Amino acid sequence: MKNFEFLFTAWMVVWAIFFGYEITVARRLTQVREEIERLRQQLNGR
Amino acid sequence: MTTVGAAGILLGKELRLEFRSRELLSATIIFALVVVVLFSFAFDPTAAESRRYGPGLLWIAFLFAGSLMLNPSFSREQTNETLDALRMAPISPFAILLGKMLANFIFMSVAELVLVPVFAVLYNISIVGIVWRLVLVLSLGTTGLVVTGTVFSAVSAQARMRELLLPLLLLPILTPLLIAAVESTASLFQEQPSLDRTRVAFLAGFDIVFLTASWLLCDYLLED
Amino acid sequence: MKGRLAYTGITAALVFFAGYAALFLAPDEATMHAVQRIFYFHVGSWNAMFCALFVVFCANVAYLLTRKQKYDALGVSGVEVAVMCCTIGLVTGPLWAKPVWGIYWTWDARLTSTFILWLLYIAYLLLRGLLEDPEKKASLSAIFGIFAFLDVPMVYLSNRLWRTQHPQPVILGGAGSGMAPMIAKVLVLCIVAMFFLMVLVFIDRYRLEQLRNECEELRFEIESRSAQVQSLPPSAAQRMSS
Repeated sequence: MKNFEFLFTAWMVVWAIFFGYEITVARRLTQVREEIERLRQQLNGR
Repeated sequence: MTTVGAAGILLGKELRLEFRSRELLSATIIFALVVVVLFSFAFDPTAAESRRYGPGLLWIAFLFAGSLMLNPSFSREQTNETLDALRMAPISPFAILLGKMLANFIFMSVAELVLVPVFAVLYNISIVGIVWRLVLVLSLGTTGLVVTGTVFSAVSAQARMRELLLPLLLLPILTPLLIAAVESTASLFQEQPSLDRTRVAFLAGFDIVFLTASWLLCDYLLED
Repeated sequence: MKGRLAYTGITAALVFFAGYAALFLAPDEATMHAVQRIFYFHVGSWNAMFCALFVVFCANVAYLLTRKQKYDALGVSGVEVAVMCCTIGLVTGPLWAKPVWGIYWTWDARLTSTFILWLLYIAYLLLRGLLEDPEKKASLSAIFGIFAFLDVPMVYLSNRLWRTQHPQPVILGGAGSGMAPMIAKVLVLCIVAMFFLMVLVFIDRYRLEQLRNECEELRFEIESRSAQVQSLPPSAAQRMSS
């Protein structure tokens, strides 16, 4: 395939951007879920 | 009291406030002048180049100066919480917005009235035959700048870093206006000046769309 | 939970098949060869972006009319996702342009308009970052979002009408040539696949925003309860905590 390097780079970039974003969202989700759990326990503990 | 009547009274207040010190106006004019002069240092344009890039430079100077000038519009109200007093008055929120828009329009127009002749002299562009058409383009462009700028001044006054935020919000929104205004001005500065009706219609359309949007959203904009 | 798993499965299958089609099934283009295949996900990302922005506009209007927090959550999620899609478009564009035109960037109508769009919605996110009060954040960013959305057609129109001095992107042989049926099919498949991907991220981001709000509410609840306890006489407070 001619001009393959650019296609490959573009392909990788698309996935990098997409997964980069998805992973940050997923990580923040886990953090928030833990925080909620902690707060709920604190609330019930009173 | 009608909206327009209330707006008129507020306009009077804004004008009186400004003409007491004239600091905003002078700062705006000087800043725009600095931009215009800097350009000649940065590019050292020939006559043909002046004609070509002049309109763009002129409008950029207006946009930058305008973004700085529009900030105090609402941030001034924050210092003594005078906006609350305005809200409590028996007038519609749109009257407040309209009054400020009209005041800003007048300030920008005064700045432009000073700047355009200076610009014409500095860059050897004759504006004798095109005065009224140029006034039309300038008015429509300034209206767009002032309408959106006043709304965003109200938005950014409530945020941090408002001096940086206002241009950041305003300039991307104004790019269609900039394109149409620069093209119109450029066609007026040609050897054979002409004014395309589509461009004027576009500028007018831009103004109408955002004025209507401001009217529809003013309640949410100025609430506590 | 199961629904999301099923949806992720469908999306993964779609994306896999679309990728395969774009890379191997679609015919090789005469002049550009392999790099033309970028076109399949380039167009898809912009289509996904516009869909997200339309949802954002509706969410902004809905928030101002109803003041329900979920619409604000929808708005910010949509803008972040749209900016992501726009970034993908703006990066794949130059990667396609370089081997084809010899330059990474040109100020042609479409590219310029999309760049402005990108800046516009990043400004939205910056605005939210600089506003502290949550209600102000929601209502002011909704107002800005509405203005931005109204601006979008004007940006594209003004660039299309008056900035045509630069080379216009030639997609597959020029305006008059049309598209071979196989290419059109693969394109539609890729557009759909990217749309599903966009929705997936959108849902996750929206969930994050909802949970954050729940977190804030819990914190508020805890603070108000501890304030209540503090205002009671010591004996009553002791009875409460035991």
